[in-house]
Amino acid sequence: MKIINTQFKTSLLALSVVAGLGACSKQADTEQNQSSTPSSVQSEQSSAATEVSNPFFTPYKTDFEIPPFSRIKDEHYMPAFVKGMDEHLAEIDAIVKNPEPATFANTVEELERTGKLLVKVQRVFFNLAGSNTNPQLQELQRELSPLLSAHYDKVSLNEDLFKRIETVYQVRDTLSLTAEQTKFLEDTRKGFVRSGALLTEEQKAEITKVNSQLSELTTEYGQNLLAETNGFELILDKADLAGLSDGIIQAAANSAKQKMDGAESEEDKAKYKDKYVFTPHRSSMYPFLTESSRRDLREKLYNAYIYRGDNNNENDNKIVAAKIAQLRAQRAKIMGYETHAHFVLEERMVKTPEGVYDLLMQLWNPALNRAKQEVADMQAVVDAEGHDFTIAAWDWWQYAEKVRKAKYDLDEASLKPYLSLDNVLKGVFDTSNKLWGLTFTELHDIDVYHPDARVWEVKDKDGSHLGVFIGDYFTRSNKRGGAWMSSFKGQSNLDKVERPVVVNVCNFPGPVGDAPALLSFENVTTLFHEFGHALHGLLTNTTYQSMSGTSGPRDFTEFPAQIMEHWASEPEILKTFATHYETGEAIPDALIAKLLKASKFNQGFSNTEYLAASLLDMDWHTLTADDELQDTAKFEKASMEKIGLIGEISPRYRSTYFSHIFAGGYASGYYSYVHSAVLDSDGFAAFKETGNVFDPELAQKLRTHIYEKGSTEEAMTLYKKFRGREPQIEALLKVRGLDGSTD
Amino acid sequence: MLLFTANVHAHPQDEDIILDIEEGQLKLQSSVIDSEYQAALKRKRQRKLASMSWQQKFSLYVKAGFEHIIPKGLDHILFILGLFFSSLVLASLLWQVTAFTLAHSITLGVASLGIVAVPAHIVEPLIALSIVWIAVENCIFKQASKWRSLVVFGFGLLHGLGFAAVLSEYGLPKNDLIPSLLAFNIGVELGQISIILAAFVLTYFIQKKVWYRRWVQIPVSIFIAAVGVFWFIERTVL
Repeated sequence: MKIINTQFKTSLLALSVVAGLGACSKQADTEQNQSSTPSSVQSEQSSAATEVSNPFFTPYKTDFEIPPFSRIKDEHYMPAFVKGMDEHLAEIDAIVKNPEPATFANTVEELERTGKLLVKVQRVFFNLAGSNTNPQLQELQRELSPLLSAHYDKVSLNEDLFKRIETVYQVRDTLSLTAEQTKFLEDTRKGFVRSGALLTEEQKAEITKVNSQLSELTTEYGQNLLAETNGFELILDKADLAGLSDGIIQAAANSAKQKMDGAESEEDKAKYKDKYVFTPHRSSMYPFLTESSRRDLREKLYNAYIYRGDNNNENDNKIVAAKIAQLRAQRAKIMGYETHAHFVLEERMVKTPEGVYDLLMQLWNPALNRAKQEVADMQAVVDAEGHDFTIAAWDWWQYAEKVRKAKYDLDEASLKPYLSLDNVLKGVFDTSNKLWGLTFTELHDIDVYHPDARVWEVKDKDGSHLGVFIGDYFTRSNKRGGAWMSSFKGQSNLDKVERPVVVNVCNFPGPVGDAPALLSFENVTTLFHEFGHALHGLLTNTTYQSMSGTSGPRDFTEFPAQIMEHWASEPEILKTFATHYETGEAIPDALIAKLLKASKFNQGFSNTEYLAASLLDMDWHTLTADDELQDTAKFEKASMEKIGLIGEISPRYRSTYFSHIFAGGYASGYYSYVHSAVLDSDGFAAFKETGNVFDPELAQKLRTHIYEKGSTEEAMTLYKKFRGREPQIEALLKVRGLDGSTD
Repeated sequence: MLLFTANVHAHPQDEDIILDIEEGQLKLQSSVIDSEYQAALKRKRQRKLASMSWQQKFSLYVKAGFEHIIPKGLDHILFILGLFFSSLVLASLLWQVTAFTLAHSITLGVASLGIVAVPAHIVEPLIALSIVWIAVENCIFKQASKWRSLVVFGFGLLHGLGFAAVLSEYGLPKNDLIPSLLAFNIGVELGQISIILAAFVLTYFIQKKVWYRRWVQIPVSIFIAAVGVFWFIERTVL
């Protein structure tokens, strides 16, 4: 687990061991039971009463316009969505039907004012559907998904609306717009163009056809993969548990018990009686691969994971993936692009596929060389143990852990007492105070959606109100895994000054017994990372909400988050916040040294598997419309042979289970994290160069050009304004120990 | 605005399917969600307490102690009324109330500080029995016996354990533990005194009547005993 997620963590679905264990020790199939979280207690109301009392239909009238959570009931969402969509369309219709000729103000700016109710309910709903869900919300999510996508299609395919925008766009040079307004106009127009506004009727019809085929195929891909992942289980007897620790055994026993309780037939029940179940979910698989001394079983589980969707059964994804790639290429061609990657990357900071390949290949060899060294280190352990086998892919977790213990001798347990949640929060608040003078005041009486969600008012250096920060840190059974940032209210300066309400959601283990919640160092960097996103949402200061905060390209928006992680591991800062929760003693230097050294551990592996997946993603999406339908197995093999991937490592995701790109929205975008990592390492190096990690001048530049600007300027322009030059890769290689300096 | 996607997430919703695949789907179980919620609620109170000055905490705990008698502590109210209906001699009543107060302060303190721990399934039925005992005694003896204060002291120890249980559910601040404990106790005393005062005012004009014992003291005591018996059954069998 640790091995996998040392750098790419949260964004790549960070799965903390503890959170994961929680997830697999919960009882199966109780979805039909109604959750009874007091905040979502249902009240029986007639629809007329709902209409009157629906909190979405009136201004919130709460402190800082934080949604009045306790007044929002599950039955308020759907009526608010329906009304919100109707209002949105009516408002757009009013713009289109305006008898006045189109102007920037009456068309582009006016468009920004539409859909307020829809966005208002959308923010609350999708936040809570992720962080505090229940079966009703899950059902609503399924109902809403097609409704919303049809709705947004209606808007983005509205020809009359586009005509008015195009009219303004054509005379943009005569309008004396500000730079921000110009970018806003361009971006708005481009959104329509990229939805097909400039195509002929015939082409539009084709695009619609391709889109609907794609939507079916991506759904099928996801469903197949879900069935494959849930379909495999390793059922073990007590005799098969060699090497496993008590906690892991307990979790596997619980999972068997739940399967037994959920089983229909006596025969099925007998199958799980007094057994231990492991599955290809990360939370179950990684601990097993790390601890089990049964090499045959490790191989079995590992292969179950990497052959998902590749078993030539009814859930096979090989043809589905190839078809998706082909259709995307065809769509790109209709839109006038060479490949899907060209279409996607036009909107990103790295503008071209060549640029992405260039970046990935600069890292590839250093990572691969390091990985080969790691294999050699592990083989030495195997030999020293007197075994007679060659390290294989399913041995990696186990032997990497052995190398880690021998080389770095870092005991996570001895570190944790220094990392109580409250101390780490103090650390992150102090860091933003030293950088920009921000202050945080905890508010205890805000009506919030769960008692574990904490609320702070954020003030600027001069004491003025900047926004509200909500931190919801502990894992719970009705919260999605991973960590993310989102907002309950956006920022805008259009008609009045509106300051944001931003939230961080994480899955850290809660407090045990009388001790406060203690974090792992990985949790700490996750907290700083998400807080970086939050700062991007809090410091933002743009006219238009659509361009504020984290609205920029994905290969850029991880930068303001990832750069915060660097402060978390600065010894000078660590010493100020990492104090022992019982004794108050600061973290010893020796422990910091070990910690920093261990951060370079296993980087060969994690970079290699990540880069291989990113390259695979790029290969799939640089196919042209004229290429034939690919044989997925051959295609992937050729793709990996081309870069010389070693057999001990698989790409982080193989083609048949690469849900990010074939079921999610990351197609030709999986490289984004490492691109942002180039920026954050290079960016933080600027602070190191000044000799002061809080250098006021540089901090001000970081704020003005990065955190405040949203997407009001080109990302590269913003970066150069902050750094004074284009980003360079060397700092990243050094940070990850891929510059040959790691022993 | 936000024309093409709902741009409100740094990590967008389309990751849901990815999470379902890699991590497994959420398993929603209302009992687990509820107990997580209760634990979180307690943490929230603790955080709020930690942010308060000791004066704020003090008044908060006085209030909490009072509320745990009126209106929440019906069994303690009945016990106090049981004492009230035992004697018309003020001195005797004072002795009993003092013994009760002293005793429950002791156990509330030691239990809250974690020095002793007695499970609720033992304490709660015994509290119900103590109510029965006091009320039955009222019916048998016209005047409180000499050793009554001693008995009341023993029962007070029990009731203190009961207070400690509700207080631990409510939560005590880690800082200023002793003042808060003291404040809670003061609140409890204020509650008790209010009960006795109210009972005294209500019965002021009839206390001296000859029929007082026969038509008030005994029937009320029988009623109290009956409720106590009911509670005892409820807390053991049901």
